[in-house]
Amino acid sequence: ATHLTEDGEQSRPLRDYSEALEMWSNFQAKTQSLSQSLSSQLRLILTPTQSTKLSGAFRTGKRLNIKKIIPYIASSYKRDKIWMRRAVPSKRAYQILLCVDDSSSMADNESRTSSSPSSSSSSGRLALESLVMVSRALASLEAGQVGVLGFGTDVFVAHSLTDPPFASSSHDAGARVLQRFTFRQDGTDMVRLLRATIDHFRDARLTQAATSSGQDLWQLALILSDGLVQSRDHARLRPLLREAMEQRVMVVFIVMDDARGKGKGHSVLELKEARFGPDGVPVIHRYLDTFPFPYYLIVHHLEDLPGALAALLRTWFAEVNS
Amino acid sequence: MDEPMADAPGPQVKVTFTTTETDLQLPETKRQLLVPADIRRYGLSRILNSESMLDTGSIPFDFLINGSFLRTSLQDYLTANGLSLETNLTLQYVRSLIPPVYEASF
Ligand SMILES: [Mg+2]
Repeated sequence: ATHLTEDGEQSRPLRDYSEALEMWSNFQAKTQSLSQSLSSQLRLILTPTQSTKLSGAFRTGKRLNIKKIIPYIASSYKRDKIWMRRAVPSKRAYQILLCVDDSSSMADNESRTSSSPSSSSSSGRLALESLVMVSRALASLEAGQVGVLGFGTDVFVAHSLTDPPFASSSHDAGARVLQRFTFRQDGTDMVRLLRATIDHFRDARLTQAATSSGQDLWQLALILSDGLVQSRDHARLRPLLREAMEQRVMVVFIVMDDARGKGKGHSVLELKEARFGPDGVPVIHRYLDTFPFPYYLIVHHLEDLPGALAALLRTWFAEVNS
Repeated sequence: MDEPMADAPGPQVKVTFTTTETDLQLPETKRQLLVPADIRRYGLSRILNSESMLDTGSIPFDFLINGSFLRTSLQDYLTANGLSLETNLTLQYVRSLIPPVYEASF
């Protein structure tokens, strides 16, 4: 059973195809060099060609395993597997889900003015540019399967992990992904997104296990969102984030914090929240203080993304491998 | 520093405060705030007066959204106008005219 709502998808509005096609080719041209930069940084992180550690017990090798020396002498030189080797790393396979926030807070929606999401300044536009840039980088790496989910009040599949790659060949497949994002959903249900992501990855792992063997599967979800989640959901997200970690699913939250055309103080970094204590006195906190995602980065400009994302993934892999 | 949060907050809405009162400007970094959606004029007024905001103690404020005074909760305002919690509401604050100015005897 899938938790992704297939029904209702037909009724959701689509962006005009020719507009989406134009957006795809514009964004692709605009992010070409960033995409290449990200790709070369990720190549080093995602596809290790040499193991850094010497290990094991062999008859010949590169360095002596000190722990084996005493048993070696004690056994009258019979137990002679005393050498360590650099192990050949197992080939890694990746499944990567790009989860794009389709809620209307992603469009510039100051009070009642409903401006177009393709206008010059909005988190939505930055998210779609990032989507194009990251998916192009992953496609050129041929790192594995890439899927796209959209979320708001519910979750939809804009591109399935098992569909043919959308970011490598013609602009058509990419445009069809962009078409799905109109930033008109009137809620941001991050709990539902995480549930759907974990379930989607679990199904995908089973399918992967049936088709290939001996590969080390890594599953990574990148959430592209303005970061505005109802604070009451923060506590409900924590057990789901633990579950994702137990399933070896890495979740990276990329906060789209568009700095174009905004004064300082409009950043989510400055955002505060007010609550009333039991005594009725207002208490004001920084919004991000209760933000539940352990791995998040904040992107003000598209140019920040390749370096920031690479640095975060490098840190994460180092933690996992230590 | 580590004050405990009030438990289980309800729905929130993001507001941006503006004003034309030159002596009551908020610094730019304090103009955006998430507030409980069921908040009304009085609660908003208390927040603005609080130490971390204007630190003005007890000036009663009124709030204008799109030119009209807020007389309901923000949630009710959103509902009445077909808007969701995704909306960023711009609230213009002015010194309250409550109690009403006596103006009958000119
Ligand atoms: Mg939203």
